[in-house]
Amino acid sequence: MRVFRSKVLAVATLFFVAAACTGTTPESATTEEDAASSSEDVTLKWLIEEPEDAAALQALEDHIAEFEAASGITIDIDTLPWENMRTILQTQLRSGDGPDVFNWGAGPSWGGALAEAGMLLDLTDAYEERGWDVYDFAVERVTAGDQIYGIPGEMEIIGIFYNQEIFDELGIEEPQNLEELRAAAETVREAGILPMAVSDKAGWEGGHLLSMSLSSNIGSDAMEALFEGEQSWDSPEVVESLQLWKDFHDADFLPPSPTSVDYDTAISTFYAGDAAMLPTGSWLVNEIDTNADFEVGYFAFPAPDGNGIFAGGLGSGPFVNAQTEHPEAALEFLDFLASPEHAKWTIENLGSIPPIPTTGEDLDVSPLMQQVVDDVSGFADGGDFGYNIDVMVGDAFNEAMYDGIQGLFTGQTTAEEIAANLAAASDS
Amino acid sequence: MPLLLVVGIFLLFPLANAVYFAFVDFDGLDPAPPWVGLGNFTELAQDRAVWAAFRNNVVWIIIGTVAPLAIGLWLALLVWGVERGGIFYRLAFFIPYVLPQVAVGIVWGWIYEPSRGWLNRVLNAVGLDGLATGWLGNPNTALYAVLFTAIWATFGFVFVIFLAALRNVDMELIDAALLDGANAFARVRYIILPQIMPVFIAVTTITLIGGFAVFDIVFVMTGGGPAGASEVLGTYAYSSAFGLNRISYGTTLALVITVMSIPFAVGLNRLQRRLSLEGGGA
Repeated sequence: MRVFRSKVLAVATLFFVAAACTGTTPESATTEEDAASSSEDVTLKWLIEEPEDAAALQALEDHIAEFEAASGITIDIDTLPWENMRTILQTQLRSGDGPDVFNWGAGPSWGGALAEAGMLLDLTDAYEERGWDVYDFAVERVTAGDQIYGIPGEMEIIGIFYNQEIFDELGIEEPQNLEELRAAAETVREAGILPMAVSDKAGWEGGHLLSMSLSSNIGSDAMEALFEGEQSWDSPEVVESLQLWKDFHDADFLPPSPTSVDYDTAISTFYAGDAAMLPTGSWLVNEIDTNADFEVGYFAFPAPDGNGIFAGGLGSGPFVNAQTEHPEAALEFLDFLASPEHAKWTIENLGSIPPIPTTGEDLDVSPLMQQVVDDVSGFADGGDFGYNIDVMVGDAFNEAMYDGIQGLFTGQTTAEEIAANLAAASDS
Repeated sequence: MPLLLVVGIFLLFPLANAVYFAFVDFDGLDPAPPWVGLGNFTELAQDRAVWAAFRNNVVWIIIGTVAPLAIGLWLALLVWGVERGGIFYRLAFFIPYVLPQVAVGIVWGWIYEPSRGWLNRVLNAVGLDGLATGWLGNPNTALYAVLFTAIWATFGFVFVIFLAALRNVDMELIDAALLDGANAFARVRYIILPQIMPVFIAVTTITLIGGFAVFDIVFVMTGGGPAGASEVLGTYAYSSAFGLNRISYGTTLALVITVMSIPFAVGLNRLQRRLSLEGGGA
């Protein structure tokens, strides 16, 4: 008996490994209206991505307290690291224990997948009835079929931050084309400074690098053709845009081993003045304003024959759990989140720019933030923007892109092989 | 009855659940996933990434089992004869084991950091800058760098268990061997090891099975990268299940990991039991 028991317990322990990757199928999404959804004594759970800066969370909580005081609705803010959100959020939603409101990404493989599974409250009527004024292009990103399933998140652009002091000391002007960028990087390198603080340890950073170089290389129309399958991902232009980063690496424009460098380390290298440029997104502006004790400029990754275009995308925005017990209170909270006043507050305090018409003037922001606000305002005006690839494609494509670019830096793969893998992932 | 309940809840239900998911194509959302039969298993057998991860697991199992055993036994033998300061050594060697693996991974990540980590700084300082590299970002070193960290975090456990086992070794046999002129290796090989063999097998079982199921420290330190260079079956199962929303594929992989490790667990368990019944010392 003891033998049996010990074996059973040993095997039981082993099966925890298997059990860890399983779950239960979701309960059907309830559509029952909340009879008691008056705003009194209602507490909403709001799940958001963990901010980089703890002070930002405190500021947000203080800001939300104003809504709580005015509405009588209590907002219980929960945060998770972005990389853990998918796992935990999907499990919570399937088990019927999810947050009432949560911030999540737009697009087919993000909010679209949840909407298709019936896990999101249909907000189509709410948009009209409650007068949420969100840019049309952004609403399209949170639309699946006839259903609008969320409020799109902040508008983001990806480009290159640069240390103005280093540029000035070395007599470098903001590069106006790719050749000037190369020349600038060479000048910086000759001065013993790292030209670009690039990280690619997590993999997603590589996706942003390709988004920048490809957007500026081929333009927005050609990017759309790639996403729509009209153009193949193994085209020479894609290979060229990948190879460009390999060439930059070989020319010592990047750290010796970008795949060993994490995002935070790259950023701190830039803050320390040890790198002249930092290719990343506008979401970092607030942090740069706080941490960089030098003037910082921002430009789009240059095109071969002139100024490039910013790769643009939408960050995560608020969605409502279809199974929330308080749909009316949740919508009231969305009224607040979709208001121009809240949009202005987030620009000034969090450095993120919601896709909501708000006064670009009269903002109490830094010159760098004002520049980004001005650049981003082009979204709504139909300006020419490239795309942040990883929010436009599926997970398999992203994995091929992330692994491929890591392999490019480590010599495990070539630009041609990556492009072929991207084409295969796109086809599948 | 309580045992049956435990078995039912913690063994049979998860097992049945995992087996079910291995035969459907569950994406984490679809309440009625389609039945795919053996599709996940056949895909797994043809998946080159699985075989690459399996090779890494084999490396991990071999080095990650042998190294802690050797280091732990060696240190236990050294401390065994220490009369003063034994507690200090026990604490010093055991502390890494009680630290959370995530914290260990993060701290060692700093140590391995290519430009600011102290490992490369030390190498540069002593003139070995040619050896400096991006340890976790270099496909040739990433797995071994993580493995070294895991060994560092594990040998303390082996050390403490062996040290406890050594207390039961018959000292008269050691004295007799000394009189016969047996050297240190011979005393360990023919006197000490046979007496602590059941414990040795038990510790081997634990570390070896840990090699099959390794996940957390790899996930924290490299995420399986760069480009899959340090991917093990556990991280590949995780990324398939939760990165690609292929819950069923990840579950199938987890099942396979489990099935592969069962013969080792059962075999070593039997061996340990037999040695115990035959009168192994510790």
